[in-house]
Amino acid sequence: MVIKSNVASNDQEVRNLAYTADANKKFQKELNSGSASLVLLSILAQADEPMYGYRIAKLMEVDDESVPMMKQGALYPVLRSLESSGLLESHVDPSVSGPPRRYYRITKSGLETLKSWTKIWSQTKAFVDGILKGKTDV
Amino acid sequence: MCKDINQYLAGLKKELEGCDPALIQDALSDAEGHLRMALDEALLGKPSLSETEAIASIIEKYGHPKEIASAYRAIESRTSPALSVSREKETRSSWARFFGVLAEPKAWGAFFYMLLSLVTGIVFGGWALFAGFISLCTLVFVIGIPIVGLFLLSIRGIALLEGRIVEALLGIRMPSRPLFLDQHLSLKGKFMALVKESFTWKSLLYTALQFPLGLIYSFGIFLLFALSLSFIGSPLLELVFHLPLELFGPEAFTPVWLLPIVSIAGFFLLPLTFHLAKWVGKIHGRYAKSMLVKV
Repeated sequence: MVIKSNVASNDQEVRNLAYTADANKKFQKELNSGSASLVLLSILAQADEPMYGYRIAKLMEVDDESVPMMKQGALYPVLRSLESSGLLESHVDPSVSGPPRRYYRITKSGLETLKSWTKIWSQTKAFVDGILKGKTDV
Repeated sequence: MCKDINQYLAGLKKELEGCDPALIQDALSDAEGHLRMALDEALLGKPSLSETEAIASIIEKYGHPKEIASAYRAIESRTSPALSVSREKETRSSWARFFGVLAEPKAWGAFFYMLLSLVTGIVFGGWALFAGFISLCTLVFVIGIPIVGLFLLSIRGIALLEGRIVEALLGIRMPSRPLFLDQHLSLKGKFMALVKESFTWKSLLYTALQFPLGLIYSFGIFLLFALSLSFIGSPLLELVFHLPLELFGPEAFTPVWLLPIVSIAGFFLLPLTFHLAKWVGKIHGRYAKSMLVKV
């Protein structure tokens, strides 16, 4: 009877762990989908010259290796979406060492959007931090 | 578990089944470009590292086909071309729908596409026919093969450019990424890959046909548009400026009693012209998609 109960509790633990991992993954995904555009706009605003997808992905990898912000492959549709919204513009240049590359540059409207998104981000961050801090203090 | 880039691409294509072919082409093009660059970088100066070992960690960072397909699907669902068709149910009356076409961006987009096709038809179509003929003639010499190769590459570039015009003016999702050939292939291999791909020939046929189509579209739409405006303004043209419409022969003025009817006919012909442009734009968009999308 005791053995049976131990097995059941282990199963429950495994299920809980799997649920937590899934929930973390889902939370990370939801967080990323909102912040990816802000991150990409910010990177391109700071760049001195137009950048192509692979280079942006490498830059994000170097900037924050410990937190997998998003899969590199998920950057490309976000870049396209930002371009179709007029926040980025792009051109294709042939490359000597590989396939032709699509270079992205932030537009004037992209810079303005970045400014207002950064403000929203700061407000959201301050709000969430405040709530989290309040919770820990309790 | 993908062992090489081709296997990854096949997996991604499978996961994207049912999506717009232009989206699939873009996703495959993005993935191939990124993975090849990452693989070249990973293997650089590490001869002991096998391609399979390298590709596993590259895919881990890039994302597995299922994850990437879901990212493309999610973003595509909220990014439709500027002039794409609205799926809202039509609630306007027949009259409002008939005249309302003049306020539809999609109809104006198609109208400008047809006008612009005079230029694109002459430039793109002219290039396909003229340069195609010249490069075919050079085939009798050894130097002809690279010339034909370059010509076919230029046609793929034109296909991409025309696709962007079609998406911008006709609201049809077209590829935004250029297609490329495996850089590891020899020049002969690249040439053969170009020649063997049906996409190359479909693009060439499309580009060549743009020459007559462009002329028909632009002259047809310009004629109807000019006729509509001159019919609408006929009373002013004939009675104030003494410019005959010449409906009844050279330098013949229209009978005065007929002028209001001609003017009203112009008011109907103008929206009809835009309905025609919208319809032609829709058909041409489908045709362009079937010819200029590889997947």
